[in-house]
Amino acid sequence: MGSWLAHSAAVAGVLVLLPFGLGDFAAYELALYFLYAIAALGVGLCWGSAGFLPLGQAMFVGIGGYLSGLALIQFKGSALLIVLLPLAALLPGLLAFGLGLILFRGRRETGPYFALITLALSLLAFQIANGWNSVTGGFNGLKSIPGLPGLGDFSDAYWISAAALAAVIAGTSWLLRAPLGVLWRAIAQNERRAAFLGFDVTRAKAVVFGLSGVLGGLAGVLYAPQQNLVTPQLVGFTLSAELVIWAAVGGRGSLYGPILGTVLIGVVTAELRNRLPYWEVLLAVIFIVVVRWAPQGLVGLLQPIARRLRRPERGARLNAPPRQLAARTAAIAFQEVAAHAGPVQILDGLTLAAGTAGITCMIGPNGAGKTSCFNLLTGELPASHGSVRFDGQPITGFAPTAVTRLGIARKFQIPNVFPDLTVAENLHLSLWGGRARPRDLLKLSLHRWTSPLLDELARRYPFLAEGASRAGDLGHGERQILELAMALAMEPRLLLLDEPCAGLSPEETRQVIDVIRWAKARLDLAVIIIEHDMSLVKELADHVLVLHQGRLLAAGSIATVQADPAVRAVYAGGTK
Amino acid sequence: MDPLVTTQLLNIVFGIATLAVLALGLAIVFGLLGVLNIAHGELVMVGAYAAWIVQTAGAPYVAAVPVAMIVCGLLGWVIEAGLIRPLYARPFDTLLATWGLSLLLRKTAEAIWGLGYKSLALPMPGTVDVFGAAYPRYRLMLIVACLAGMTALAVWFTKSGAGTRIKAMVANPELAQAVGIRTGRLARNAFIAGCALAGLGGVMVAPLTPVHPFMGIDYILDSFFVLVVGGLGSIAGLLAGAGIIGGLGSLVSAITDRTAGYTTVLVIAILFLWLRPRGLLARA
Repeated sequence: MGSWLAHSAAVAGVLVLLPFGLGDFAAYELALYFLYAIAALGVGLCWGSAGFLPLGQAMFVGIGGYLSGLALIQFKGSALLIVLLPLAALLPGLLAFGLGLILFRGRRETGPYFALITLALSLLAFQIANGWNSVTGGFNGLKSIPGLPGLGDFSDAYWISAAALAAVIAGTSWLLRAPLGVLWRAIAQNERRAAFLGFDVTRAKAVVFGLSGVLGGLAGVLYAPQQNLVTPQLVGFTLSAELVIWAAVGGRGSLYGPILGTVLIGVVTAELRNRLPYWEVLLAVIFIVVVRWAPQGLVGLLQPIARRLRRPERGARLNAPPRQLAARTAAIAFQEVAAHAGPVQILDGLTLAAGTAGITCMIGPNGAGKTSCFNLLTGELPASHGSVRFDGQPITGFAPTAVTRLGIARKFQIPNVFPDLTVAENLHLSLWGGRARPRDLLKLSLHRWTSPLLDELARRYPFLAEGASRAGDLGHGERQILELAMALAMEPRLLLLDEPCAGLSPEETRQVIDVIRWAKARLDLAVIIIEHDMSLVKELADHVLVLHQGRLLAAGSIATVQADPAVRAVYAGGTK
Repeated sequence: MDPLVTTQLLNIVFGIATLAVLALGLAIVFGLLGVLNIAHGELVMVGAYAAWIVQTAGAPYVAAVPVAMIVCGLLGWVIEAGLIRPLYARPFDTLLATWGLSLLLRKTAEAIWGLGYKSLALPMPGTVDVFGAAYPRYRLMLIVACLAGMTALAVWFTKSGAGTRIKAMVANPELAQAVGIRTGRLARNAFIAGCALAGLGGVMVAPLTPVHPFMGIDYILDSFFVLVVGGLGSIAGLLAGAGIIGGLGSLVSAITDRTAGYTTVLVIAILFLWLRPRGLLARA
């Protein structure tokens, strides 16, 4: 909080001093690039923080610009403008948010699809702006737009732009420091894990896109009175492309990258465009070089210094509120469940009951449908027939986020964490997932959350307490433990573990078994473990399920199952 | 049938056939390598400029076909080695790199030839009588050539050894490599073929449309939408996608105006992305 205030004040100071060093005309020119910088920051948020690339950012600038221009012409000098202009900036944001909800829904890999749809939308917006003569003024645009009431000359333009930029920097820097910013980076790295921590990934991404729409809209709203002109070029493809280049060259992953990129390249371009005919070719080459060799742009080169300057949130640790779960039991019931992958039948009328307190081990030969069973339960594999119930409630077809929120946590076979976040951030996300309300994610104090369970885990595994190391730098065994700790920190009713000891040394295996036993007793947890190692099964299992060819072959205690002739036939290599 | 209706129908068939060829190169590269080459449209533009240069030089128009395909193929070779191969495992970065490349090609064309439109003379003037409608000879020739080419390609892909190797590479690149298929070379050739096809597409459309540096953007979007609607992996899907995007686009444009046609195509693409993201005829 304190460092945020100091930081915002420093930015404001620089912006106040700048015109005295530059003179009025240069300041007036800067005013325009500050507006573009605000729009480019939107691109940077989407692309650098949340991991999806918008190629049509100019659309939101243009919509803001046209709305603002129309309002200023229609209601010249009226007090209504105090309401209308903010609305004009907000509307593109709402549009972006809605589009985001539609486009992000139910798909994890949005990369090229999302980017090209935004590009197409921007081209469509150009067509409309160009063709809708009666409203937009067609090709020539809206002319003679009056300035903001009470303001006029060159220097006022600078102050308006600079104030907007300072406010945007302050707001964005808060968001990036807040838990929400951590969540955005988490989603960019591993959407699947984020969903399995109970975050609504679709909405979180739509929020980022909506914010970038507001930033674009704000730039447009201020552009109209400053330039007194809005033409279809403002919605079009060229500006969209330039905003992406500016954000990339400056550095998409940071707050200042897009801003510096825009101002620097903007000013240089204005200088060189007429003198150096190949300047824009050169700029395209620079862009390619940045993409290929320096993905974090100019600011990325300074990143090591910036990281050293960032201090962790100080203050006493806070205990996270206990998790509230509606489910009273962890009972799982599969009823005649079938599922396919292409022509292959993976689950074939699977009926089973599991999830009573204690440890259930699920065994079966490769291809028996064990992991598919988990996938179906957690909403990653659609059922073509049958139903699944959790605590008596039907959950067939629920998405991973919804299943997780009911109190099911899952650890994957291959360690699945957020590699570029710190260990502390990984653990925090698992605390926030089930406990923080969406608006809580704006509070910096959430960075100080911990839970008694996490403290106990950190005593067992000291590396969990050294929060500052990158999760991706941990060894395989430590990543397995980290993911297990994240799943436990969620304090679920039911824990699904897919070969939790795969790739671990005997010593580490022993530790993991101890933790699972301890957590089971500590949280009164039901655990289902997929396991191949029969010695582990004998040691852990209160109950065993044997799967074969997508069906339940046998169930019961380890002794019952071992005595079952059908199980013996399968494991001895016999055929069914 | 009313000659006007016949003409319109043939125009729609023509739109579908050319769109299918334009999307084919993109589909090869996207389907086989997982690389969405955003510069595909700019390679079409390069092909069109090549055609313009050939025609301006007074050479027969057919000569533009090898010229454009060789120029674009060479470009593809350089692009593959310099940008695509180092970024294979990073689909998002290939998207950006090819986006940067599209800027580079566009700005280079702008710096060399300016923003003005170039128009080409029709290489096969005159019309042919089709069911009472006088239809331009050149367009008719293109329809026949596109359909013949696509059929030949489909046969080649299902029957030839190279087709089988490509399928093996797509299904499991590591295993394909392990059984002795040179996946690196196959991928490079596929990329070059995709680029050369874009050049061919440029030669085809050049006499019918204004040639200018920004012409590629429309083609990349339309081609991409064809893949969105049709799904990857089959020629039938490609034709179905081209049929829906090209057919509906030109139909709505013919009835109302270009903006409406554009909107229709965009809305269809978004609906498909939303409700049927794997396309109409996607391979499982």
